[in-house]
Amino acid sequence: MARRTRVLLAKLGLDAHTIGVNVIAQALRDAGMEVIYSGLKQTPEMVANTAIQEDVDVIGMSSLSAAHMTHFPRVVELLRERGAGDKLVIGGGVIPDEDSAALLEKGIERVFTMGTATTEIIAYIEAWQAGRGAGRDT
Amino acid sequence: MSDAKSIEQGREAWQRDTLEPRLAEAPERKHPFTTQAMGWPVDRLYTPQNLDAIGFDYVRDVGFPGEYPYTRGTDPNGYRSDLWTMMQVSGFGTGEDWAERGRYMLDQGLTGLFLEYDLPTTNGLDSDHPLAVGEVGRAGIAVDSLDDMEALLDLPFDKLQRLTSICNGPQTVNLAMILAALKRRGIDPGSFTLQMPNAILIEYTCVGRYIFPPDHGLRVAIDALEYSIQNHPNWIPISVVSAQLYAAYANPVQELAFSFAIAKEYLDAALARGFDIDTLAPYFSFITGIDMDFFEAVGKLRAYRKVWARIMREEYGAKRPESEQLSLTASPGTMSLTLQQPLNNIARLGIQMLACVIGNGGHAMNTPLHDEAHALPTEDAIAVGAAVQNIVAHETGVADTVDPLAGSYYVETMTRRIEDAVFEELAKIESMGGALAAIKTGYFQKELARQQYERTRAIEDGSRVLVGVNHSVREGEKRNIEIHKHDPDVEHRQIRKLERLRAERDGIATRRALDRLRDAARSGENLVPPCLEAVNAYATHGEMCGALRDVFGEYHPDSLTTGIS
Amino acid sequence: MSEIADRALEGCQVSGARVIRWLEDGEPRGAEAFRALYPHTGRAHLIGITGPPGAGKSTLVDALITVLRSRDLSVAVVAIDPTSPFSGGAILGDRIRMQRHATDPGVFIRSMATRGQLGGLSRATFEATGVLDAMGYDVVIVETVGVGQDEIEVVDLAHTTVVVSVPGLGDDVQALKAGILEVGDLFVINKADRPGADDTEKHLLAMLHGRAPAADGWEPTLHRTVATSGEGIDLLAESCAAHRSHLEETGALDAKAARRAEHFFLELLRSLAAQRILEDAAEDESFSYLIASVRARELDPYSAARRLVGAFELRIAKDEN
Repeated sequence: MARRTRVLLAKLGLDAHTIGVNVIAQALRDAGMEVIYSGLKQTPEMVANTAIQEDVDVIGMSSLSAAHMTHFPRVVELLRERGAGDKLVIGGGVIPDEDSAALLEKGIERVFTMGTATTEIIAYIEAWQAGRGAGRDT
Repeated sequence: MSDAKSIEQGREAWQRDTLEPRLAEAPERKHPFTTQAMGWPVDRLYTPQNLDAIGFDYVRDVGFPGEYPYTRGTDPNGYRSDLWTMMQVSGFGTGEDWAERGRYMLDQGLTGLFLEYDLPTTNGLDSDHPLAVGEVGRAGIAVDSLDDMEALLDLPFDKLQRLTSICNGPQTVNLAMILAALKRRGIDPGSFTLQMPNAILIEYTCVGRYIFPPDHGLRVAIDALEYSIQNHPNWIPISVVSAQLYAAYANPVQELAFSFAIAKEYLDAALARGFDIDTLAPYFSFITGIDMDFFEAVGKLRAYRKVWARIMREEYGAKRPESEQLSLTASPGTMSLTLQQPLNNIARLGIQMLACVIGNGGHAMNTPLHDEAHALPTEDAIAVGAAVQNIVAHETGVADTVDPLAGSYYVETMTRRIEDAVFEELAKIESMGGALAAIKTGYFQKELARQQYERTRAIEDGSRVLVGVNHSVREGEKRNIEIHKHDPDVEHRQIRKLERLRAERDGIATRRALDRLRDAARSGENLVPPCLEAVNAYATHGEMCGALRDVFGEYHPDSLTTGIS
Repeated sequence: MSEIADRALEGCQVSGARVIRWLEDGEPRGAEAFRALYPHTGRAHLIGITGPPGAGKSTLVDALITVLRSRDLSVAVVAIDPTSPFSGGAILGDRIRMQRHATDPGVFIRSMATRGQLGGLSRATFEATGVLDAMGYDVVIVETVGVGQDEIEVVDLAHTTVVVSVPGLGDDVQALKAGILEVGDLFVINKADRPGADDTEKHLLAMLHGRAPAADGWEPTLHRTVATSGEGIDLLAESCAAHRSHLEETGALDAKAARRAEHFFLELLRSLAAQRILEDAAEDESFSYLIASVRARELDPYSAARRLVGAFELRIAKDEN
């Protein structure tokens, strides 16, 4: 029984542009991953709980407006509080460089800006999965 | 004049004696050549034979400018009398911030302005709502109350021809705010044109700034439309913003077909309220986006006018020319702009602007800004955007003759091909029950999601060239473009203003006005008058939307209607 | 004793979710944890929701959660979506409809992909419902894929099977007849505010009349709901509870439990046996040899399978000696 990479894709905040998340969901599916799409206007609490219940490996959050600076770090915080800090948290959207740097410090592993190739995101996730190997534990 | 037979003979000889030797020494660089968005094959050469093949008839297919079927344009004199209204989208910060920027833009020679609101406003929330954190004044202007709108409209109205207010979800609330603010400023509503895209069905299809479920969303839109036509007959109370479909990667055929299906949904809803088609149709306008394939763009603009004219005459039995004349605003597309090498975008904007004018793209045009892919536009970018329009208008000569590409074998073939395909797609949507049904079942959304994925893959695998992205890439390129900085103070200021307002207003009067709004929502009467009462009783934007939400409920798309199930 | 199982028994969502993940991925430690959880199963009311695409199953589940929560019952949901046969990936979108319950500690929602399993369930649905049952959820709802008419596996899993239909699907009601209509306990006409609801009701009633009476004497009930507004959901929840009581009173619950145990056991046995034999065959490449022979029509599939099982038996016998 092959292990399948499970990914949660969520849009935080009020922004409702879905093109990026639509494209990435389809690309990840076609790369053999199981994509849980939890929809728009998610709060950090919703994202953290969903990630836990779905036991995803990866959480991809998208924001094209202001939500990233407040919401992304909050998700990481909530996951750690609940003992689910072993998940890969990545972000994407229109995010200025200085914000990206701040997010990396707050536990977001990687920030993909708009225009990143889906193949690059897939390769990144696959490399991360391979890197942590089978030694994943609770 | 050469006849069909001599053309055929000539072509055969050319192919044999002239072309083939050339092909033998230099094979073609692509096979096949296709159009960018539709993927239609592009022939080596278009000749009168192509026009014969589609049974091209000058009078029926093209005619004369200002006359049915308006393929050559709706103004009989093209741009020789009047150039288009030059507009630019820009909204951010508080009302005062925006008014300052608006004055700057009018000083640059622009004659129209766009009001874009921040996400809390378009989602019907006040600036102090928990979901508004970090969003206030960020992606547009924050408008919580009449005071904000009044500050916003501190503009030299003598220089302003057209003001476009984009607040599709709570359009009646927004309209009431504008009306009340104009009154307080003493501005004659007849002195300029207010354009409300009022484009709620587009929001459900791809943009996502909706509040209520689709049926109620449509009702709110039609209320605003009805009120505006009855009270401010010189305004433009509805626009089908097909540019948003295009920005969501709709191809030209989808863009036109979905837009017209949506327009028909609005028309039918308004006709059901007793309007006459010839009163109603002239109020409809369309806002389209232009992509980089030059001939697809020109063909699209020409087919756009022709299909609308035919729908009006053939399906709705319209009698007045004004009903058949498509009112169009064209804008170079934000979607073709790249984050990489942003200065390249100025070239793209210039070319698209050229297609807009050559294709007779309408009475108003706006340029997006070359740094738009980054964040919000800077003042430099606004100046360059205005310059692009002026260069095309005054330096190129393309605005000096009407529809200069008419009769081009390629352009006429393209125009007809788009026209036929649009009618085919429209028939398909009709068989599903129309645009509202197509939205509710997720058909539009799914089609767009598929296009988005395919187009992305084409760029990633290089089959679609984007300079700076997959061609002529400069390694280690530094993106040192200036990005408009968000001012975190805006949020605090708005919240303080709201607190003061709530403390100072007559709370009982406000509550009574909101109850009255709820009653109106239940009863089905037009929502604009009770919204006006509530605005004047200092109910906030979020409170009014909340009252409507109490009655209509809130829309949450599911896996089907998000399009990616 | 498994530590993670202990935590799951205390209701820890992180642990329960991880055990489900292990079971779904076929990891041995999943089976180990499940061994510790299994004695604690058997308390939850298992409800299966099935019906064609577009019937509004997820919305119905969402509305049902609201009603059950108002009655102070904790609820777990397993929502199943199809795996893409091309890539093995999937987009699991059912929970979008239920996201307003995402922050309610009394609700646990898990999306699962079919991963090649037929019959409307995912490969580890039985296991997942067992884990959620042991975690203490009062009600465990399984929403099937909803693509085929033969999604009757859910009947072996659930105590109560709810079949959802909508007006306007026309022939789909006819199509339901062959499979699920024979075995459903409750029938729902969702989106009942739409035109055609009366016709759908008439069709359904006619078909139910023609149905052989259930062995336990339950008379299937018919409900009209509008899940988006919550209309009719109260009665549906009541009817689900009544069905469960009926099963208890008539002793049919035990028969269902026995059938579920057998189904689950046989499924596992099949997959374990096949897995074991294939592992064995992979060692000496006999599997690829046999496949090549079948493909070349030198050997028929029956003989090839028998030969593989025979070889396995021989090896076992040899190992025992």
